[in-house]
Amino acid sequence: MIIPNYKHKMAAHCESGTITALLNHGGLNITEPMVFGIASGIFFGYFHKMKSFAFPTFIVRNKPGQMRTNIEKRLGVRFKTYDFKDPVKGQQMLDQLLLQNIPTAAQVDFFYMDYVPSWERVHINVHFLVVAGKDANKYVISDAYFPGMVELDSTSLEKGRFAGGNMSPKGFIYNLDKIPAEIDYHKAIVKGIKKACFYMLKIPIPFLGIKGMHMFARKVVEWPKFARDNEHLSHEIMKINILLEDQGTGGAGFRFIYATFLQQAAGMIGKPELKQLSEELMKIGDGWREISLFSARIGKNRDLGPEKLKQLSDMIHDRADVEEQFFMSLSQAVK
Amino acid sequence: MKEKEGFVDYPEQQMIIYVEKEDGKYGPMQTGSYLSANYMDDYVYKRRNLELELRAQLTGGLISPVKYYMVFEDLSFSELAARAGISKSKVKKHLDPKHFGDATVDDLLKYAAVFNIPAANLLQIVLVNSHGNLESNIILENKGDKISIEQTPSGNPYAVLTKIEEKR
Repeated sequence: MIIPNYKHKMAAHCESGTITALLNHGGLNITEPMVFGIASGIFFGYFHKMKSFAFPTFIVRNKPGQMRTNIEKRLGVRFKTYDFKDPVKGQQMLDQLLLQNIPTAAQVDFFYMDYVPSWERVHINVHFLVVAGKDANKYVISDAYFPGMVELDSTSLEKGRFAGGNMSPKGFIYNLDKIPAEIDYHKAIVKGIKKACFYMLKIPIPFLGIKGMHMFARKVVEWPKFARDNEHLSHEIMKINILLEDQGTGGAGFRFIYATFLQQAAGMIGKPELKQLSEELMKIGDGWREISLFSARIGKNRDLGPEKLKQLSDMIHDRADVEEQFFMSLSQAVK
Repeated sequence: MKEKEGFVDYPEQQMIIYVEKEDGKYGPMQTGSYLSANYMDDYVYKRRNLELELRAQLTGGLISPVKYYMVFEDLSFSELAARAGISKSKVKKHLDPKHFGDATVDDLLKYAAVFNIPAANLLQIVLVNSHGNLESNIILENKGDKISIEQTPSGNPYAVLTKIEEKR
């Protein structure tokens, strides 16, 4: 049984895609880039030493879950949320919602989603998907990363929903509760942009925002000392490409989707300067894509000596510099 | 990025990227993964080497089965401890082959749940002859081969059914 009228659609990112799917199903005509932009999804953070990560890493979007809460605050929509200690109760509630034909978003560990090819599966507790039906012991899953809906065994979904560790899902599910009659998009867009600019320019934490990008650039030359051997270093350097392109970013570490948001926002709120900035960000994104391709190439060639890492570091510093200018201009545009 | 520059022919891993369309508007485009399309062979090569190296350490008594899977799955030991619900000090001990024997069956079931393997695989590595090489089944699932190995849980949490069949 698939929930009637539920339409599966691929999306760039799992969280913005899931929120967009629920809002679209509820009758609100909104695009994924608009959800991403209003939710201040664009971000940067570098984590050099964190116990939960086996190797230094970085993120290019805001904290998981924050897109939903920001969208609620800024659009006035409401989601009902549930989390559970007991997997049995967690499954019962999900089944009850599905029986009422309510598409329900779930947070899961991506590793247990066995419809995903094994080479793509990693332990990441913050993957979001929509459960859109159930047939006997199989759930019908609408995963934004797949062209069509897929089936998932109830045991695998339970493992994913109740995985432990950093940011464990605790069975978290949510569904759309209310869409207001009127939405002030102007206010929501401006607020979303202002907050994104704050996080990129002013957040007083050295590993976040533009400062985080510079830290990434400084520290990437130290990565060899964390690697087991050259192949491990190659794997980690090539993961830069995965984090910027393949892990649901819409390309160039979310820069292309945010440029799309700015272009759409320019028309919606009558601010042509946002269109100009969207073009600028598209070009900045092309620079991030060069970093992705460069990382893949030097990783594959095992060309990972100090000179190449310095070159990579310089490319990242350069992105940080141009993004600092960009976000200052963006901040001025919505002042 | 222009739409024509974004297309990658790789149906096995599709994704959405945002590109500039011909009319100048930015919008979504479904395409394949550039990295997977161009570098999958290198990824599989590295995974196979990593497994061989870990297997050599495991069979040489240098690491425990818990460490074998932890490194292969890219988990830090703190994350493994949190996921398994076992204290860090205990996990640290279980990574060392000298103390792996102190792990209880309950501990092994918890580790196995994290690695998504039967607990039995913490005491054995299933090898299959593939093109003249003995390869671990954790690698073999990455490729189409003549043999399929399916391990399904039974009604008893302490027993797994391992079926080795020729693929048709």
